[in-house]
Amino acid sequence: MTVQKEPTRTGTIMAQQSRTAGRVLIQSGTVVALILLIIFFFAMRPDTFLSFVNIRNILYQISILAIIAGAQTIVMVLGDFDLSVGATSSLAGAVTSVMLLDENSMPVAIGAGLAVGILVGLVNGVLIAYLNLSAFVATLATMTSVIGLAYLVTGGTTVFGMPAEFNALGQGRFLNVPLPVYFAVGISIIIWALLRFTTLGRRLHAIGGNVEVARLSGVNVRWARLLAFTMAGFVSAIGGILLAARLGSAAAEQGGDNTLFSVAAVFLGMTVIRSGAANLGGTMIGVGIIGVMSNGLNILGVNAYVQQVVTGLIIILAVVLSGLKTRER
Amino acid sequence: MTSVGDAAVATDVLPALEAIDIAKSFDGVHALKGVSFSVQPGEIHALLGENGAGKSTLIKVVTGLYAPDSGQIRREGEDVVFANVRAAHKAGIVALYQELSIVPTTSVAENVLLGEQLPSRAGIVNGRALRRQAREQLDRLNQKISMRKLAGDLSPVQQTMVAVARALATDARVLILDEPTASLTDTEIREVFTVLRSLRDEGVAIVYVSHRLEEVFELCDRLTIMRNGETITTKDVADTTIGEVISTMVGRNADSLYPERGKTSTEVTLVVEGLDGRRVTDVSFTAHKGEVLGIGGLAGSGRSELLRILAGAQASKAGTITVGGQVIPRRAGVGRVLAAGVALVPEERRSQGVLLGSSIQDNIALANISSVSRLGWVSRGRIARIAERGMADLQIKARSPRQPVGELSGGNQQKVVLAKMLARRPQVLLMDEPTRGIDVGTKAEIYRLIRELAATGTTVIAVSSELPELIGMCDRILIMHEGSIAGDVPAEGADDELLLSYAYGRSTS
Repeated sequence: MTVQKEPTRTGTIMAQQSRTAGRVLIQSGTVVALILLIIFFFAMRPDTFLSFVNIRNILYQISILAIIAGAQTIVMVLGDFDLSVGATSSLAGAVTSVMLLDENSMPVAIGAGLAVGILVGLVNGVLIAYLNLSAFVATLATMTSVIGLAYLVTGGTTVFGMPAEFNALGQGRFLNVPLPVYFAVGISIIIWALLRFTTLGRRLHAIGGNVEVARLSGVNVRWARLLAFTMAGFVSAIGGILLAARLGSAAAEQGGDNTLFSVAAVFLGMTVIRSGAANLGGTMIGVGIIGVMSNGLNILGVNAYVQQVVTGLIIILAVVLSGLKTRER
Repeated sequence: MTSVGDAAVATDVLPALEAIDIAKSFDGVHALKGVSFSVQPGEIHALLGENGAGKSTLIKVVTGLYAPDSGQIRREGEDVVFANVRAAHKAGIVALYQELSIVPTTSVAENVLLGEQLPSRAGIVNGRALRRQAREQLDRLNQKISMRKLAGDLSPVQQTMVAVARALATDARVLILDEPTASLTDTEIREVFTVLRSLRDEGVAIVYVSHRLEEVFELCDRLTIMRNGETITTKDVADTTIGEVISTMVGRNADSLYPERGKTSTEVTLVVEGLDGRRVTDVSFTAHKGEVLGIGGLAGSGRSELLRILAGAQASKAGTITVGGQVIPRRAGVGRVLAAGVALVPEERRSQGVLLGSSIQDNIALANISSVSRLGWVSRGRIARIAERGMADLQIKARSPRQPVGELSGGNQQKVVLAKMLARRPQVLLMDEPTRGIDVGTKAEIYRLIRELAATGTTVIAVSSELPELIGMCDRILIMHEGSIAGDVPAEGADDELLLSYAYGRSTS
């Protein structure tokens, strides 16, 4: 389809105008999947699934993943991805916890955890933007080292016994809603605005669209990429510190699961919009699907291993559904 | 250049491919309104028309990509209906598009036999038989290319040859070529022509789509002109002229493709001294305010690299560039060079010029981020204003500033790239192949625009492979040869022969 687009163009115009309800359904396969899941679980457990307590539970469960997935969205807008987000979050949580146990003050301990996140992000950024490593290789390597560091920091055990005011960050409630939910919402809004309304967001989108076009338009590609990975490291660290507070403990691999789930959430989110780019709204729908799945299957008493299998299948299904729209065009 | 195919077109045999009264519309918009077209075996038949005239839709209909709404396709007199591209292939109709013609990461042999049954036993490919079969096809084209090479390592002309060989491997009797020479040099084009002529003599029917009319007149036997989804006329090439074809294509008299030259000031805007870099050696020249300076030379002579260095897209090793009295630091990068008033409209529109998936306004905003934002926050209103202005100034035809650029025609895409750079109000505008793959009507608009820019004092530096374009469009022409400037001549009255002799590095008396 590389020839002149004129006729196809008129085709698309009309197709857009006469988009039928059926097409909208297919186009928004991922959103539909989320709604169907909710309806399904509601039908199976009408008295518990949509209760306030359970909805609060779901939100509480997905709040950390939402933050990590936000970090992942930033780099996936660039067309890259970051396999170290989970490991970085674990390390940041571990550093903060261990420093608190050493009787450092909260601001110092949390500041150190955040600094660790920024540092890992910077290393990723330098490797990828300035030393031209592929994001896959670079973040796989930093992930490996960062997990090692996390084991060193925790001494290979689960550390606990942090002060109550720290744990309250993850376990406390405001207006009967857990604090991490507020953090997740706040961070999501900030990332959304950053990607949508700032010049940096524009630059990241342009690089994700076509690096060469961005460069020839005067975008400093390396700098933008460095910033994106650094921000991803920083945001991951916030997620990791909150996770440690929520659990009241820190272990070297407690954030590890979130890496792949965050990539999955962004992928699901990419199917939501027409251009197929990573976008924060979509990511949150993806996070919602993963959270509803896991919670619903729990309520139904489904074996945890089966849950994992089903989660993978749901991701495939949603992506296939929205792939249908691409074939139509 | 009006040499005719020596073999007269045999009209007494059944057409190799015939399209009768084909209509095709997309949700009510008529792309084709009753098109009739036929090509005889042993004929090279040009299909001409501006972008949007319906050529590509017609090709897609006869190759089974689109089903026609009405009308009939006949293959050697028999009615045929193609359910898909595969079915058209089986009937011997193959189209080659300008890009996507090869798989760069596999060998030449595998490319030639792509989609065919590979010689194998128990699922293991017999490499020797594979290479032999592929070589047979390339031998028909008189091509000596190593079968083991990766197709991506071949030169553009060899890639074209591999694509043609692949079509032959599927026993194509009707070969449709869409702008096959777009990225080739003159010598390479000759080579392609020789191959096409020999295929014609073997009885293959060739449909040749091109915007390069000189080539059409040199190569083709007959031509059919389309306009607004209709076939206007079919003629023997011997019976018409380029001027007549152009006016038929645009539907009006287009005798003056190039606007009148303006006055060039003596004020110097750009001074280049001793510039060295990849493929560029010791280049020095000056350009004046309001001047249109052309850069010619063979492909690979360093033309594009020179522009890229000037634009900051490629690093220089030595030399200085001074714009409006201000020295541009080496390694400044595109962003700072743009800020200093030098903008580049790159060679490859689709891969370097525009974000195809983004809207017109977002594309224009991309090079103007600082002027559409405050303290890092982007203003939607300013983006809309800058885009509307650009669209109005350049007469970009689109339904809204929010339309994705990928949906526009090549000419309009090029205007988007121009609008993006002109919004920076550059002192020096660099253009690499400003009219490549653009229809005649839009070409004339671009030439007029370049003149208007020059009249307001902008210095325009344009690289072009087409000598008539250089001569018609520019005030002065630099010819490059192996990285250096071999000639510097006024465009008015310049002749092809002199320019070519510079390009080939021959000194003339």
